Amino acid sequence: MTTIALGIFLFAFLLIVFEVFDKSLIAMFGALMMVVVGILHPEEAIEAIDFETILLLLAMMLLVGIAAKSGIFEWLNVKIASFTKGNPLFLFVLFSLVTAVFSAFLDNVTTVILIVPLTIELMRGMGRDPKPYIFAEIIFSNIGGALTLIGDPPNIIIAGATGFNFLEFILNLWIPILLSSILIMGIFVVLYWKKIKPISKNLIDLCMANVLLKKIKHTFLKKTLHKDFVAKVVLLLLLTILGFLLQGFIGLPNYIIAFLAAIALAILTSKRINIHETFQSVEWTTLFFFAGLFIMVGGVEKTGILEELSLYVAGTTTNLFYLSLIVLWVSGLVSMVLDNIPFVTVMIPVIFGLETQLIGSDTTILWWALSLGACLGGNGTLVGASANVVSVGLAKKNGVRISFLEYMRVGFPLTMIMLTLCSVYLFFRLH
Amino acid sequence: MSSKIQLFSQILRELEVEVGTRDMATVVFEALIEAIQALEVEGHEEFEKQFDNLTKFVFDTEPKYGILINYFTILLNEVKKSEKTNRETIIKKLNEILKERRSENRKIYKFAEKINVEGKTIFIHDNSHSVHDVLKYYKRKGKHFRVIIEEQDFEKTQNSIEALHDAGIPFSVIPSYMISHIMASVDMVFFGCLTLKDTMEFVMSPGTHAVLTEFADHSIPSYLFINTNKFSYWKSKERGEIFYRKHTRKHHSKNIEYERIKYSHDRIPVKSFSKIVTDEGVFNPEQIKSVFEKKYKSFRALCKYCN
Repeated sequence: MTTIALGIFLFAFLLIVFEVFDKSLIAMFGALMMVVVGILHPEEAIEAIDFETILLLLAMMLLVGIAAKSGIFEWLNVKIASFTKGNPLFLFVLFSLVTAVFSAFLDNVTTVILIVPLTIELMRGMGRDPKPYIFAEIIFSNIGGALTLIGDPPNIIIAGATGFNFLEFILNLWIPILLSSILIMGIFVVLYWKKIKPISKNLIDLCMANVLLKKIKHTFLKKTLHKDFVAKVVLLLLLTILGFLLQGFIGLPNYIIAFLAAIALAILTSKRINIHETFQSVEWTTLFFFAGLFIMVGGVEKTGILEELSLYVAGTTTNLFYLSLIVLWVSGLVSMVLDNIPFVTVMIPVIFGLETQLIGSDTTILWWALSLGACLGGNGTLVGASANVVSVGLAKKNGVRISFLEYMRVGFPLTMIMLTLCSVYLFFRLH
Repeated sequence: MSSKIQLFSQILRELEVEVGTRDMATVVFEALIEAIQALEVEGHEEFEKQFDNLTKFVFDTEPKYGILINYFTILLNEVKKSEKTNRETIIKKLNEILKERRSENRKIYKFAEKINVEGKTIFIHDNSHSVHDVLKYYKRKGKHFRVIIEEQDFEKTQNSIEALHDAGIPFSVIPSYMISHIMASVDMVFFGCLTLKDTMEFVMSPGTHAVLTEFADHSIPSYLFINTNKFSYWKSKERGEIFYRKHTRKHHSKNIEYERIKYSHDRIPVKSFSKIVTDEGVFNPEQIKSVFEKKYKSFRALCKYCN
């Protein structure tokens, strides 16, 4: 049974890596196989699904989907672009930071969909190379996403498994995220100085940039913004974040808070949105992918392999710092080339196993190492995270080709620097 | 053309399609104010050099926009006039230009009143803000008329629909290839344009030539509205050099690729219009020629890049 379970899982994993079919189909098929061959009973399969995680994702997709329809995010982006008055350096810094902040509270893919096309139009219109901007936006979307519980799927999975709340994520991750942001921004500015340096000494460039900004402002803001719609969206988004922050006091799980906000917003804006279209915009394939994955991992977990793996890892060292380093670097390196969602799902029982071996120690650091490794490791290559793939797709659609190696030359060293920085952070946390 | 000029030309063309020539120029002047404010240069000499380069840059765009070139020429002369002319002086001048431009149509309205539109049906083809403004003016004056909008490029048609709807002017829309069916119901045709060239041709929205010919066949009068600050005072290129874009399109359902060609503008001889309504009066084609020549001589004396 162990061999069959492992075989199903590894085969599905390979199909997912090479994108033979849509990953949701592969995960669902793998999950069904776990039941059909008798590794899991149907009831066990249902129990293996972490519904809290799936419901939180569903609620956030609904909330963000309705919010995006109001046009508020486009409006905000264009306002930010106008604020820079066409200064390329200012645009670079501000767009990267906005990407990080948006990614912390929206999902990374939504963030890059909102920002990358605008960046390309702006940079190409100014006669500049948009690639450094796109690279920075990819990397900052993953950095920002790592900060919060809802920022990146690995964090949602970790929260679903451990019960860590929104505030705990921020309190434990803000230092490495902030330091990584500053360091990476500095490196980017030095690396691409020639391409992003200010144009304040050239009247032609300044004039072109300002004409373009005004044109973009006109094009993107042509759609009428309904004040009542925007006000409701802003209010509900703020209430959701407040709800997450005060979750400990409220006593409600994250997914209930997110669902309350999504449904309240849908009711409040029912005249402005079509609820059927809103539900259609939910990424059901992602949710089914998660469900299938949970079942497959449940099947593998039942065989005891993952427990043995955690015993093996714990057997190599009992030093919590070394263990956290192993978790950080393994998850970082694996996430560079493989989807971090299945990897984190597999690692959940492994970390629980390690905790069992280290009773008496505060092992929560292992979860933060897993989060940092999985979220930041995704920056290493173009296939490391969904935001990377989507950004490159958007760039290609807009006539900017980014090759795997071209991105890796920037992404890989920066990821190694970030993981090193996180290692230093882990050292100070444990000493 | 350098890639930078090509880019700027493209931005201007897209803006023109979206908001019309007049508002495109307003956008450029507003942007220029912000650019000058952000410019970090020492001394008048360097500022003059930069402004000269920018003026040359604007001259090199294709198509050339008379309204931009004329005002940039005025501004460049202002910069060169005295060493005391600084950025603040130019910004002040630009603000004056913007203020003047906001009220410049009032002069056209005065002469537009000479056209009797009461109870008439007016056909419009292009996204001309001058035409929209004149129609709105008639409406404010309590005139009763209706408009037929020719359906063409999406943005242009949408803009006309929005403008007339907002002004409460009754209108209907007809596809461009069906206008032969409504000839009997149209009393007059209104056009706006980009510029008037030294070849005595108006540079106009693509498709104008076909529309104009069709209405001329039925002896329906055509009026063109243009502010004289849009006139072009440089030597024109051959008609064959007019800007066009080729791109490959795919059939929506079959594996067929084809080349699609799109021209930016039409050039129409002045004589094709019944009357030309300007801020200086209503003229017939012969008269507008002498108005143009008079201005042409005085402006070229100021213009460094007009040759």
